[in-house]
Amino acid sequence: MVSRRSFLGHGCSLGVAATTLTSSMATLGFARQAAAQQSFSDYKALVCVCLNGGNDSYNMLVPVDSDQHTEYESIRTDLALEQSTLLTLPGTSTDGRSFGLHPNMSETVDLYGDGDIAFIANVGTLIDYVDAAAVEAGARVPLGIGSHNDQIAQWQTARPDRRVPEGWGGRLADLMQGVNADNGISMNISLAGTNAFQAGKRTVEYAINRDGDGARRIWGYEGEWKKTIIDRLFEAEHDHPFRREYKRRLVGAIDTGERFVEAIQNGTPVDTTFSEGDFSAGLRQIARVIAAREQLGASRQTFFINIWGWDHHDEVLDNHVRMLPEISLGLAEFKSALIELGVFDQVSTFTISDFGRTLTTNGKGSDHGWGGHQMVMGGAVRGGQIYGNYPTLSSSSPLDVGRGVYVPTTAVDQYFAELALWFGVSQSDLPLVLPNVRRFYSASDASPPLGFLA
Amino acid sequence: MLTHANRKSIVSRRFPPARGAVALGSTPIRHIVNWLGLLALSVLLIGCGGGGGGGSSAPSSQNTVAPTTTPLIQTQPTESELNAASRFASRASFGMNYDQIRALSIKGHDTWLQEQFALPIEYHDEMVADLIERTEDGEFDEATEPDPDVLPFVFRRYVWWHRAFTADDVLRQRIAFALSEIFVVSEVGGLGDTERALPNFYDVLLARSFGNYRSLLRAVTLHPSMGFYLSHVNNSKADPDNNIYPDENFARENMQLFSIGLYEMNPDGSYKYDTLGDPIPAYTDDDIREFAKVFTGLSWGGENARFGRKWANYVVPMEMFDEYHEQGTKKLLNGFEIPAGQTGMEDIEDAIDNIFNHANVGPFIGRQLIQRLVTSNPSPQYVRRVAEAFADNGLGVRGDMKTVIRAVLLDPEATTDPGTYAQFGKLREPILRIVSIGRQFHIQNTSEYFFHGGYWIQNQLRQHPLSSPSVFNFFLPSHMPNGEIAEANLVAPEFQITTNPAVIGISNLTQHLIWADNIGGVQSPPFGEMSVNLHEYSVLATDVQGLLDRLDMVLTYGTLSEATRNAIGATLVTIADPMERAKWAIYLVLISPDFAVML
Repeated sequence: MVSRRSFLGHGCSLGVAATTLTSSMATLGFARQAAAQQSFSDYKALVCVCLNGGNDSYNMLVPVDSDQHTEYESIRTDLALEQSTLLTLPGTSTDGRSFGLHPNMSETVDLYGDGDIAFIANVGTLIDYVDAAAVEAGARVPLGIGSHNDQIAQWQTARPDRRVPEGWGGRLADLMQGVNADNGISMNISLAGTNAFQAGKRTVEYAINRDGDGARRIWGYEGEWKKTIIDRLFEAEHDHPFRREYKRRLVGAIDTGERFVEAIQNGTPVDTTFSEGDFSAGLRQIARVIAAREQLGASRQTFFINIWGWDHHDEVLDNHVRMLPEISLGLAEFKSALIELGVFDQVSTFTISDFGRTLTTNGKGSDHGWGGHQMVMGGAVRGGQIYGNYPTLSSSSPLDVGRGVYVPTTAVDQYFAELALWFGVSQSDLPLVLPNVRRFYSASDASPPLGFLA
Repeated sequence: MLTHANRKSIVSRRFPPARGAVALGSTPIRHIVNWLGLLALSVLLIGCGGGGGGGSSAPSSQNTVAPTTTPLIQTQPTESELNAASRFASRASFGMNYDQIRALSIKGHDTWLQEQFALPIEYHDEMVADLIERTEDGEFDEATEPDPDVLPFVFRRYVWWHRAFTADDVLRQRIAFALSEIFVVSEVGGLGDTERALPNFYDVLLARSFGNYRSLLRAVTLHPSMGFYLSHVNNSKADPDNNIYPDENFARENMQLFSIGLYEMNPDGSYKYDTLGDPIPAYTDDDIREFAKVFTGLSWGGENARFGRKWANYVVPMEMFDEYHEQGTKKLLNGFEIPAGQTGMEDIEDAIDNIFNHANVGPFIGRQLIQRLVTSNPSPQYVRRVAEAFADNGLGVRGDMKTVIRAVLLDPEATTDPGTYAQFGKLREPILRIVSIGRQFHIQNTSEYFFHGGYWIQNQLRQHPLSSPSVFNFFLPSHMPNGEIAEANLVAPEFQITTNPAVIGISNLTQHLIWADNIGGVQSPPFGEMSVNLHEYSVLATDVQGLLDRLDMVLTYGTLSEATRNAIGATLVTIADPMERAKWAIYLVLISPDFAVML
């Protein structure tokens, strides 16, 4: 207990500007008011790609230099990818190291070479910077490390110290929804139903399907009689909060569904061919929504798309061969569509995942880890680089909390701060979106949080 | 593992050839049932003979079914007794029609529970296996959509719906479904491509719904489908030279989701906190790694069993291969240590005991069962009473599921009049809304197979049995919907899948089920055409208020709000045809917030 307290004290002395956070919270109402009057002359979108289950990203982005690859092989044993099969990325990292991608991600290599995609290395949830020794000594770490639902939630909420329902995309929308037309369609559009990322205090996601025109309509509602009886039914007031909520959702879905479908049908057609598969189909639908941004009256949007099945305790090698190409190809197709629409510079697409995985193996796959690598793609991305610090792999790494689980060296807050600032959040509002950001990034810093966005 | 009845007895349960439409609760089904030897069914159907006015024995629109003749002479229950029975049925069954509710009311809830506990189990995999064999024998050669080659992979879905619509052991079926949302395995991720892995797992839940929780946990632990899903099948002891350590997946989720949860709990389900005000973790990463050692050495069972075999066997429990089991001591929860030198199965038995006896299990599992069956936000006292029932069934036995189920369903908080507690109630699960339409509105079929593929339903609702996207079920027990519900600090798990598309989807599906001549996605000739039978309600429909009274009783047990009732009434008076009026009345009640949320 003593060690935890002293650690917290230590963290504060490192420059946690607690007063900044407090004063920002105090001006919350004012900030919202200001934001409501704000408008943007341009269009921007954030696309959050959730690799649900915990991608084994140390097998996605792999050291290729001989000494580090040898170390990688000695740690990962039966899970190690052969050096000769890796697709070497052009250039070296700032510390002069070379990396390669999983052999089935050729499109991503091209995107990287074109400067359209960057990697963030060993990023993860943190309450403050720690290393393995500090963790061992009882330093405060995110709630439920290693637990799927906690970790995937914290990647979306950016609150590793608390379990809160709202995510940072939701907080963005709480701040910014006013810049879009007031038509009942949220700034936050989900291809994956309810999610924490897009839930705000006042905002909920607008869930759409990847098939058809995204929204569903009540059968026959276009006819006057059906509309009359449905509308009459939902005029009724209710005493119970659950019944009120259900009514709000159904009425909202009916109302906005009609509007959404009309907007999508009148949007610019998207001619780019997408391959089959859920991820590509989802990205195609996102491209269609972006193509209808004027019809929807949107100048800022976030999208959330989820790909299940990354919890590879078993058969991680086979599963990566099957799943990584879908991501790689989908991203390339999405880039083509955004270029076709002329908005590639205005859309930033980024991945999240529960955690990295153990570098050690269970003989079939890998178990839950902590830090991992993520990708960000867009015309505004200073691609062709790896940001953050790719740990030097070693069986005696000071980051290794056991089984090759590496403490993140970059916090999700830094990763997201870069995206939020690009999206149009002011420095002063940043803590409203990312409540812990000041532990990792100060408004007075001359440099951007990570520097991957222009 | 469940005891599979031997092949002989399965074969003896073959259905007779199709002989025209069958309405549930009507004479032909009784004949079939008797022919099947499931005499106990008739116990449930007491009261189905009509006599309550507009009974289910009304002629089907498709063919002539002779009404049953002898009404039971019973005292007519009061309106409030009928409402109480209807409310009980909405929790303890997949939905009951008026006559069944009336019979339940006369019988008494406790007696009904006793009868349900004693009914023979209507297994799923047993029926699937039988159907597969008959397919191989060519019995379904006329099937076209899908064709006989594909049928074996679809039967698990057909059978789930068949049981959901028709099973007599409906309490057991309902509990097994709830358990399938706690002990989650799913068709997503590989099991969906098998014929029997999922129904066989479901049978484990059915077999142990009324048994002991320890036996349930053990059977789930050893079931090959769980072994595949949480990857402890072929999980080997450590090989430190090669940096290989036991798989932690099952060890973790078993504690987090199937038994004790993340944090130490008081008996009322509230968390215990340390001196810093943080909840106390129920286990650490080290604990997970110790349990991971326990669950090593298991592989597929059956013929030619050996460790590491790739060929799966999903119908017998996994087998232990001690040479691949991690030797040595294992430090488990609450200071218990497994001694060195035991066999793998001895280790597993000790570990299951260690978890089973953890104080969290009662409140953790009890609270979830309350949430699945009764209300999203039970009071701490309600949870405590259920946890106490878990701890001791009155005879000193811990983990007796029958006692737990009774405690959940008969608790004073559950049975006090709706509206007594402002926070009481839950959103119905979308899939159960669909099932209940069949149950409450006399689903009938031109064959004896009440089959449904469920694919379109799943597409509309994002929910279908055993199809959760991950081990975390379709929704989390802790989900707090944004807005006034979160502001009131309430959870409402089912809202997590109540998205724009889903909320429209269920409304359209409801319309489909009420009007369609064939609601099955099953077009194949041998399986017939299935639809609801609304004759009972078309008779009532001449009187709008009487119709609404009945629907309020059967569907919302007296909680239909005045405003909703008036809105529906205003529509109904504009519809002259009694059958159409009845259909619109049912549709509007079913899509209303009043029905969606059970109080």
